[in-house]
Amino acid sequence: MGGTNMKQGMLGAFRELDATCLAIEELKKKKVGEVTVFTPTPRHEIEHAMKSPMSKVRQFTLVGALSGCVFGYWIAIWTSEYWPLVVGGKAISTWIPYTIFGFEVMVLVGALSTVAGFFILSRIPRLTMTVGYDPRFSHGDYGVWVKCAPEQLKTAEEILRRNGAVEVRGEE
Amino acid sequence: MTAIPQPGAGEPRRPNIASASVQLPAVKNYEQVDNEIIATLKPTKKWFLALLAAITCLAIGASSWMYQIHEGLGVAGYNPPVMWGVYIITFVFWVGIGHAGTLISAILYLFRAGFRTTIYRAAEAMTVFAVMTAGLFPIIHIGRPWKFFWLIPYPNWRLLWPQFKSPLVWDVFAISTYLTISTTFLFIGLIPDIAVLRDREKNPTKKAILSALSFGWRNSEAEWRHFVRAYLFLAAFSTPLVLSVHSVVSFDFAMALTPGWHTTIFPPYFVAGAIFSGFAMVWTIIIPIRKWWKLEHYVTLNHLDATAKMVLFTSLVVGLAYMIEFFIAWYGGVEAEQTYFWNRVFGQWWWAAWIMLTCNMILPLSLFSQKLRRNPSWLWILSIFINIGMWFERFVIVVPSLSHEFEPWQWSGYMPTWVDYGILLGSFGWFFMWFLLFIRQLPVFALSEIKEIVQPRMKHGHSHNGGH
Repeated sequence: MGGTNMKQGMLGAFRELDATCLAIEELKKKKVGEVTVFTPTPRHEIEHAMKSPMSKVRQFTLVGALSGCVFGYWIAIWTSEYWPLVVGGKAISTWIPYTIFGFEVMVLVGALSTVAGFFILSRIPRLTMTVGYDPRFSHGDYGVWVKCAPEQLKTAEEILRRNGAVEVRGEE
Repeated sequence: MTAIPQPGAGEPRRPNIASASVQLPAVKNYEQVDNEIIATLKPTKKWFLALLAAITCLAIGASSWMYQIHEGLGVAGYNPPVMWGVYIITFVFWVGIGHAGTLISAILYLFRAGFRTTIYRAAEAMTVFAVMTAGLFPIIHIGRPWKFFWLIPYPNWRLLWPQFKSPLVWDVFAISTYLTISTTFLFIGLIPDIAVLRDREKNPTKKAILSALSFGWRNSEAEWRHFVRAYLFLAAFSTPLVLSVHSVVSFDFAMALTPGWHTTIFPPYFVAGAIFSGFAMVWTIIIPIRKWWKLEHYVTLNHLDATAKMVLFTSLVVGLAYMIEFFIAWYGGVEAEQTYFWNRVFGQWWWAAWIMLTCNMILPLSLFSQKLRRNPSWLWILSIFINIGMWFERFVIVVPSLSHEFEPWQWSGYMPTWVDYGILLGSFGWFFMWFLLFIRQLPVFALSEIKEIVQPRMKHGHSHNGGH
């Protein structure tokens, strides 16, 4: 095991939700490193403690949905105009049935763009687990990973322990 | 995102009211959720027997289809002018079954209906497998399955594209979009749960597979934040999609100038019927699962009660649609319509119509009784009747119209052959085989969402029990 200088940060494992939130709030208040929280399920309490900005997934959704809608109308209109066949004296391009394509392709591309946005923003797929993850965080415990400078390690450790971490360890 | 309201201390919980605060009092902590639900992945004797039965049915269906391919479509019961029969009926039936999954997972999610939490994963998986089953039937129906790609909208060698004004092309777009989005929705919801399996897995090969499937999910707050938002938007897209898909399927009929089909009530009538039949299939699946794996404290009587109210409501909507069809036929004064409806209910097809009316309108009225709504055995039996009734509803829509059009010389009969029945049976085998394999590999109850409604461990105080 390396010394303190080789450590990238401190990882604290918590059993209780409120203890986790208190530790996050104190770390944020004292500006100790960069905090990442692991939680088995999304919790509003953690979200509030982290004061994270709203996800930008919606931007992907909007762009995808608009593009899909335009493409859905365009493919139906373009193919009809490309080889015009007049049936029963009706218009070559008819808006009402083509709205079905506009809608379906809007949903398809909008939803897939949402998924793409989720992957890009969450930085997944991830080939290897990054530093600071512990399998217990998917099971029932909460984790607080503080990535910080070597001189802040001690402070981070103290804050994590004081707020009720059941285990604190340095990660290389 | 607001916290789900909780009843105050000492406030009595009404037992039969489905609300956003449906809780799981017998589930104490996150570890219990993981341990009990992941136990469903262990194969049991009953699971093997069920899989064997499903594969046997599938083998019968596959043999029948091979026989039909070899001999030609003439071995099916088609008899001009009835050129849509069991295959189209079964196609519409399975598309309908596929509706409840997205209704439960998306629409009830947007409405914050708490009772969906423990049943939505099974319903979503059911949707995907039901649409996969439905997708086979147009291919079986065309008789020459090796030409199936003609169904896909692309230009022919003279660059003539499909007719985008045709309901059949709308159908291809609607069903393929629905299958894609349903599968995506199911898979995205599974990612955190697969990560739970990955973290518990000891076998290195399985762990590697689960790691790949979970995309390296770490349960970080940032990942959850994007996940929750993406899930919300997927639900928002799926909601109009689910309503549009069966509307488009209904256009296959309603756009034709055929008695009994050419009516504007078809889209809402089909959507209500689809939700009705889908909920019934959810009961068919979830009631044995909760009993066999002793998970009654997850899918509680409160949950079943809430779903029973949905079934009762959709049954009333479907029943009203049946009555309106009769009324409009009488009120419209078109002789072809009137004689067609008389023939449907009191003539040639009376037996099919009365099976439909009994199973879909009369038997579900029993759900006005709270005692029966909270009786899982009755709900399971009723679900079988509803499944039968909804298959016959599609029979009653498809066959009597084609066999009794405007010209008396066109009037005809229809009798399915053993090939039709074999393929119908095979479709159930195909569907249940996939479902059984699914529940053996992946959690049939959503671990992360169930954890959201379980009270988290607290050191000092009490939490608002709410997730995303």
